[in-house]
Order: sequence, then C-alpha cells, then structure tokens
Amino acid sequence: MDTRIETIEKAAGYIKSRLDGREPIAGIILGSGLSSLADEIADRTVIPYQDIPGFPVSTAPGHKSNFIVGTLGGRCVVAMQGRFHYYEGYGMDTVTLPVRVMKKLGIRYLFVSNAAGGVNLDYHVGDLMVIRDHINLLPNPLIGPNMDEFGPRFPDMTRPYDLDLIRRAHEIAAKHGFTLREGTYIGNTGPTYETPSEYNYFRIIGADATGMSTIPEVIVARHCGISVFGMSVITNETKKEFAPDYVNDGLDVIAAADKAASRMVSIFRSLIETL
Amino acid sequence: MDTRKSIYSAAEFVKSRIGDLTPEIGIVLGSGLGKLGGLIEDPIVIPYSAIPDFPQSTAQGHAGNFLVGHLSGRTVIAMQGRIHYYEGYAIQQTVIPIRVMKLLGIKYLFVSNAAGGSNPAYKVGDLMIIRDHINLLPNPLIGPNMDEFGPRFPDMTRPYDLGLIRLAKEVAAEQGVDLREGVYISCTGPTFETPGEYRFFRTIGADAVGMSTTPEVIVARHSGIAVFGMSVITDVATDNPDDYVTDHLDIIKAADAAADKMSRLFATIISRL
Repeated sequence: MDTRIETIEKAAGYIKSRLDGREPIAGIILGSGLSSLADEIADRTVIPYQDIPGFPVSTAPGHKSNFIVGTLGGRCVVAMQGRFHYYEGYGMDTVTLPVRVMKKLGIRYLFVSNAAGGVNLDYHVGDLMVIRDHINLLPNPLIGPNMDEFGPRFPDMTRPYDLDLIRRAHEIAAKHGFTLREGTYIGNTGPTYETPSEYNYFRIIGADATGMSTIPEVIVARHCGISVFGMSVITNETKKEFAPDYVNDGLDVIAAADKAASRMVSIFRSLIETL
Repeated sequence: MDTRKSIYSAAEFVKSRIGDLTPEIGIVLGSGLGKLGGLIEDPIVIPYSAIPDFPQSTAQGHAGNFLVGHLSGRTVIAMQGRIHYYEGYAIQQTVIPIRVMKLLGIKYLFVSNAAGGSNPAYKVGDLMIIRDHINLLPNPLIGPNMDEFGPRFPDMTRPYDLGLIRLAKEVAAEQGVDLREGVYISCTGPTFETPGEYRFFRTIGADAVGMSTTPEVIVARHSGIAVFGMSVITDVATDNPDDYVTDHLDIIKAADAAADKMSRLFATIISRL
C-alpha cells in the first residue's frame, strides 16, 4: 500500500475513533483572522495534532495545533487550529495531509482563510478579499504518483473556488452592511516578505494579494472534489514607492488580521448556516 | 535541511586560523571582482576543502577559498568562489558561507555577479548597482527558523542598503564610471535564458538576470547585515542575430574586461565605510 495513503488512513481512523459517529460536512482551516471562530463551535471534541499518529506539530507563530470537531451554524464541522506551511520545511505531502484526512472524515466543503499582503494598489489594511482564483508559485502538492482513490491525474482548475459560495458570501456581507473585495491570490514559499520588485511582478501578472499558504490545500481539496471557499485578510499595503522607514513586520500582520476578525467570522458562520 | 552544525563548526575552524583578526566586511568575489581579492594585503588563505563539512565550489572560473586580511584599511573576509544552487547543493547549503561570515562578525556584505541584460538599453560591459531583486530560486530560509540569526518572516522592503548605493554613486562619479541601477532577477540556471524567458523577465520588471546572489542577500538581510550588490552585464537579450550563441567563455571575457574598474570602485567604497 502507498505509504502516503496509510498515513492518511491511520490519522483519519484515530480521529473517527474520537467522534462517536459524528460526520463533519465542512472543514475549516482557521488561518489568520479566523481563530475566534473556534470559540463558537459547540459540543466540541478537541484533538491535538500531537495525539494523531503521523501528524507533525505546527511551528508558525500564533498558530495552535488542534482539530476541533463540533457544531457550528447547525452543521457538524471539523476545524483546523494551525496549519502546516511549506516554509517551515515540511514536504507538500505533510502540508496537505490534514485536508486529505478531512476528506476521509467526509467533508464536502472546505473553508480557508489567510493573512495576505495587498498587491492591488487599491487594497487597504483590514480589507477582506474573497479569493476568486489563484496563481500557484509554490511546488504543486500533487507531484508524485497520483492517488487515484482521491482524484484524477490531471485535475481541472478552471474554478478552484466555488462560484455559488462566492455569490452567497457577497449577499451575506451586504446584509451585514459591508463589502468584500474579490481577487486573485498568489502563493509563494516565503518566509521572506516580498521585495518591492516582487510586489510589482505579482501585480503585473494579475495578482491582488500574496501569501505563503492556502493554495496547496485548495489544490488537494479540488483534486478530490471538495468545494472550496477562501478569504484573505489584507494585512499590509503595497506602494509604488515605500516610505524610507517602512518595515514589513510579522506582529503588525497579526494585529491587522485580528482587527478584521469579527467581520470575517460573521461571514464564515453565516455561510456555513447556508450549507 | 539543518545546516546549523556545519555553520558553527566552520566558523570555529576559520576563527582558529585567523588569530585576532575580526572581519567587519564580507565580500563575495563573483565574476568581475577576482582582482579585488588580489588587493587584500597579506591574506590568510583558507581553502574550503580544509573546512570540515563545508560545500565546495565547482563552478568554472571560481576558486574555493576564504581570504582574510586588510583591504583599504579594513579587515575583510572574501569568498573566492561561491556555492551555486545549479551545482546540485540544497539552497540551505549554498548560504552556509554567509552564515559563517556573520558568526565571524561582518556588518557589511559586498556581492558581485555576472548577469544577462534583460533591459534593452543595457550593453555588454555595463555595471549595474542592484537596487532590488526578484527571487525565483528556492528561498534559503525555508525550514525551521534559526532564531539566533533573525526573525521568522524577514522584511525585504530594502534588501540593498540605500546609504551604500548613494556612496557607490559618489565614488563612481569621481572615478568617471557610469553605473546602471536596476532590478536583478535570479533563476536556477544552469541553462542560459531563452528569448521567451528574457521577454518574461523584462515584462515583470527585471533589468538583469543571473543564477546567484539573491539567496546570499536574503540570508544576510535575515541577520541584519547591510548589503551592496553589483552586476556586470556580460550578454544582452535584444536583437541577437540568428547565429547568436550565449557562451560561458564570452561571459568570462566580458566580466574580466570590466574587472579593473569594478575592483577599484569596490576598494574605494570600502575605504569610506
């Protein structure tokens, strides 16, 4: 048996053994800005990654390391507190392992969030951007022998993000009295922030926001037919010319994400209610 | 890949060879800067091959030594020969020498390279100050962060020191040397660029393209070292005739032709730090 599939099955088997037959319909990756959504999950079972056979532990600042299974918006969901980033030194199989495990648990929807740098000159700190499409500059997580039981060798990527969920997100935002940006997310490895010329490059090729995560998870989810909704919180702005004392700082990024958190949480909660 | 052990053991080894010298300036003697190595007075030569667990340079025209000594009245450590990703090293290995120089105490890093001109105005033999870069090589900071060197997510708003760029322009004006100033894009190589790739690089804002430097600069900036970089333009992308070939020997020749003025420029900048 493919050792990758063995690892997935073992981890999924362990989590199932803790769920008393509950089957989550949606997976949520609680990236920057979404962490407080975890507090709203009722009747919860918390499963630390360190208890799961074959699971590594996330090393990124501000990320916890748990699955939380419970009820949100009347639905059974599984949420990931802490994701694995490529820049931490993990292989892509590890970065995307949780998504495949959640597939085995039965999810049909995946909700992802991230903190992203604004590439689009109109974007401001605190803006929320629905991810309409992406450009992947990370290694492709499907490189290697295809896992046929998950999906095809050459998956279509015409609509990585579900159009219906995007439409509903805009309706929900309108009801709450705010607007959402909608744009293209470009993923690169990090961990350095972008140089001004890299921001310029990303803008030229059509990106609106840039970050170091999400796309591998989305590719693997789409490979196995999971519908995806993604949102970025814009945590820093790009400029044609940066001020002489401008510095891109990880703590500023966390602070900006926290400020947008309540709007982001309300969108995700309401979206999950519509499933 | 964890390179920490190699870094610390190499730094210990070099320290044991240089007595009480404390280099404050690191220099990567890339193409065009070979002669600058010759200006270092009474250099202590430490072959990479003598350093335990240290990567060896295999690139043509690159020796493999650290030179430690005095240049323009300052204590410097120069790398005669750098380690390239295209040689087959992991990206984290290619930057071990920069980490070692940091541990030896350098505050400044001077780097040079030979680069293809993707800016159509550039000519063979032009010297370009690197103002900014686009990194298309793997990022050398991937992996667990080495907190003792710098932060998890380093800022890259100004990879190249604005003060050093200003100083270089002053010195060049005094010496009657014309300088370009532009954006360097790195890719793995070892193939030279196709015309389509040159077009791509030009479109996304690059002025010159090469196969090195950005990993070294990223790691230097991670640990707060001020960086100055210069490219010598050794071939150009535009209007090449049907029988044009990008040849490594031509590139070495073009770099050598610019060597004198480039070395003089660097020596003077260093004298004024």
